[in-house]
Amino acid sequence: MKNPYLPIPMILKKAEIETSDRLLRTLELGFKNKEDEESFRFIPGQFCELSILGKGEAPFGIASSPIEKTALKFTINKAGVVTTALHQIEAGSEIGIRGPLGNGYPIDFFEGKNLLVIGGGFAFTTLRSLVAYYLHPENRTKVKQITVVYGARMPGLLLYKDELLEWEKRDDIKLVTTVDWGDKDWKGKVGLVPNVLEEIAPSSENTCAVICGPPIMIKFTFPKLVALRFPNERIFTSLEKRMKCGIGKCGRCNIGHLYVCKDGPVFSYAQLEKLPKDY
Amino acid sequence: MMFNLDKKDFDHFLKDLLETHDLFAPVQLTEGVSVFKKIDNPGEVSLSQLVPQKSAKEVFFPQSEVMFRYQIAGNQGPTVSEQKIERERILLGARPCDIEAISIIEKVFTGEDYTDVYFAEKRKRTTIIGLGCNHPLSTCFCSSTGGGPFNRAGSDLFFTDLGDAYFVELLTEKGMAFRVNKFFKEADSEDLGLMKEIEDKASQKVDRTVPVEGIEKRLDLMVESPFWDRAHEKCIGCGVCTFLCPTCHCFDITDEAVNQKGQRVRNWDSCLFPIYSLETSGHNPRPTGRERTRQRLMHKFNYYPKNFGRVACVGCGRCILYCPVQFDIREALVYASAKRGKGRKGKFK
Amino acid sequence: MVQQQLREKAKELLSNKTVDLIIGFGEWTLPLRTTPVFIRTPEGAKSLVWNSFCENNLTAYLHKFSRLKVGLVVKGCDARSVTALSLEKRFPNHPPLLIGIPCQRLVDRKKVKKAVKGEILQAVEQGDLLLVKGENFEVSLKREDFLYASCRSCAHRTPHQAHILIGDPVEEVSLVDAHPEVSKLEGMSPEERWSFFEKETSRCIRCYACREACPMCYCAECFVDSSRPRWIEKSLSPSDLAFYHIVRAFHQTGRCSGCGACERACPMDIRLTFLTQKLNQEVKDLYGFETGIQPEAAPPLSTFDPEDEQEFIK
Repeated sequence: MKNPYLPIPMILKKAEIETSDRLLRTLELGFKNKEDEESFRFIPGQFCELSILGKGEAPFGIASSPIEKTALKFTINKAGVVTTALHQIEAGSEIGIRGPLGNGYPIDFFEGKNLLVIGGGFAFTTLRSLVAYYLHPENRTKVKQITVVYGARMPGLLLYKDELLEWEKRDDIKLVTTVDWGDKDWKGKVGLVPNVLEEIAPSSENTCAVICGPPIMIKFTFPKLVALRFPNERIFTSLEKRMKCGIGKCGRCNIGHLYVCKDGPVFSYAQLEKLPKDY
Repeated sequence: MMFNLDKKDFDHFLKDLLETHDLFAPVQLTEGVSVFKKIDNPGEVSLSQLVPQKSAKEVFFPQSEVMFRYQIAGNQGPTVSEQKIERERILLGARPCDIEAISIIEKVFTGEDYTDVYFAEKRKRTTIIGLGCNHPLSTCFCSSTGGGPFNRAGSDLFFTDLGDAYFVELLTEKGMAFRVNKFFKEADSEDLGLMKEIEDKASQKVDRTVPVEGIEKRLDLMVESPFWDRAHEKCIGCGVCTFLCPTCHCFDITDEAVNQKGQRVRNWDSCLFPIYSLETSGHNPRPTGRERTRQRLMHKFNYYPKNFGRVACVGCGRCILYCPVQFDIREALVYASAKRGKGRKGKFK
Repeated sequence: MVQQQLREKAKELLSNKTVDLIIGFGEWTLPLRTTPVFIRTPEGAKSLVWNSFCENNLTAYLHKFSRLKVGLVVKGCDARSVTALSLEKRFPNHPPLLIGIPCQRLVDRKKVKKAVKGEILQAVEQGDLLLVKGENFEVSLKREDFLYASCRSCAHRTPHQAHILIGDPVEEVSLVDAHPEVSKLEGMSPEERWSFFEKETSRCIRCYACREACPMCYCAECFVDSSRPRWIEKSLSPSDLAFYHIVRAFHQTGRCSGCGACERACPMDIRLTFLTQKLNQEVKDLYGFETGIQPEAAPPLSTFDPEDEQEFIK
């Protein structure tokens, strides 16, 4: 019997602070064992349990895309015991992971449609994975137009800034970045994500919306999507809960009869509207 | 196959079992308080308490269990070691409700995608000797949840207390392994008659009127019911009902480490603790007793049935007996089933 | 009759809207028990009961209903908890209205169960007797012989702090040996004491019923739940169990009314009050302080004065 609770060993190859508040750190992990690398297959939107022995385990969405073969990326918000340890750990050290876990984004359903990606703050990680996946030449034809609206409180708090610059240069993706407070160098929009979305008013025709961000952002953005006539079946979000086992056993992350770790973390609003508001 | 085990031989029977097996059975810790524990000698076994405080789930899913140990050695990376079960196991003296509950947990802990190896390994290597309930309590309602005081489902062997002897039935392949046992004598028709009489009497005693049938559908309509605003009021938010419940199976995973050595441990957890759902950000998706009480009842009677086709309650009555404030799950079910406007509405206390 | 007076008073308080909610005791499904009831309408007042099975300290619910004007049914010990909480400034908006009942002392249901063979299906009080019935038995027991230890040693049965007193004050007995449990423990050697303590706490399942049943345990984050720093692990190791119970008791020093609700809530019958009672006794000996007796006196462990008279502090 394979023990799903045993982490597989990874080596921290590189780590980088992402944001000006120094609370977000991106880890690049390489597989210690070749066979683990070969058997590890994931789709954007899935997550892993990262563990530092002695400190514990916590779930993180995979920020790299499946086409970046050699390394897995995770961006860690420093908040609790495990995340603090993940901020302190040095390159070359071993980190355990379990995964990939969860369902991931419905890429089959997205096929042939336009994609509207809406992100806020540090919840941009799996959205980055999704966009990077579709921007790869092998996958670019799988969806039509890609529109990304990404907001943060300040320019310094945006993740993956170099990559955002790259995306801006491309003509096969429309990127709109916005901040609550700009600075003198800021060239993007100033304003809250829901308002910016209203302003650019993307068409809902044959379009799927994916939205990840702080609860308050989601709360105010959702009505805007409804106003743009996005049906609930085509609005998706990725939920976070206190997942411990990640495999539907420990019971901590249920919303109604569904488990965020096993049946999610990605849900459509059509699914969520049938469940108790336990999230 | 049916046998008779004289009570005079019972200790010897257990002694023999101990030679070859790890034996788990109810043990009295202090007067009126029993739990299932590993037995070192037959004298410890105490079958008198109908529902020991902690249920038999502990034999398969201990309250606190080391998942693996590790040692961090220099730059080699950590070495991880798992514990293995050495011997075959026997669970003795579990009542039909507890045995039913094990199969309820089993559905969660095994599954198509992932198997909880800790539970599954113990389950696979355990032979279950069930014990019928001659004198069910007034708080028992197993017959309302699909079981009964002599429900043999899940037992490999089944004992009925005849007074001076146990009536022994071998029910499964694992049970048949006991067909050659020097303490088992062929049961006669008198034994069989007595067993049936006891069974009938006990079965009639258990409350069948708790409205469990169809509860899933009724609760579908009650997610936002004002019932929850009142139901949780007296709940003080302790973990008694969930920890003593034979079907509750939520756990938390933590690391315990000193310097270079440590272990990953899982411990039972309770959805009634505020900290259970509290997130690092401070956000709590179940902020009050209302949502937490709803979670406990809905999980048993709505969510679990949606996933596995039966209620996650076996009617053992522990949560009623041991609740510090007398939250009575039967009355919650009655409430959920009452026709609105017929005067039962205000009755739930 | 006390129960009738209580119902009438409760009805009146709800009718004239003096309070929004009355928390008291009601009859429910198990014999030898009552259940906390939450009454909002005058008609509801008739479900209030008063008997020897009103074992919960309802003061614990005040934290949950801090936004309402609450009328609270209290015994002597419960009222002392309310006073202690007031001193800790727990009721800045709506201090509860106390409906006090001089306590006849409560019956220990676990003790009664142990005295009979078979399940008790019915229990009624008749004067000094307790009539207990089961399927095949019917016995009458002397109520006096089945009181909770915390009640036997209680010297403050009348809730003098109550705003409304139902029934006549009872004569307080001055006790020769206030806490026989404590005296017994004091007579033990340290080794015996430790092994007694370990044996009791070894049954702990960390359900925290003792904590939740206690009106004084209201910390926003209990030390056992803190992750930064993590004071204690979550498993059942003897050291963690001992740690929990010692710290829980110590947090009660000078705050515990000795009501015994913690011990009654425990599903594993762990004897908990010997620790808190011992601390209560120490506080009384050292500072002359008893929890919740004088409404203005600050608990000794929450004040400091360089002029403190106690020698052992200096």
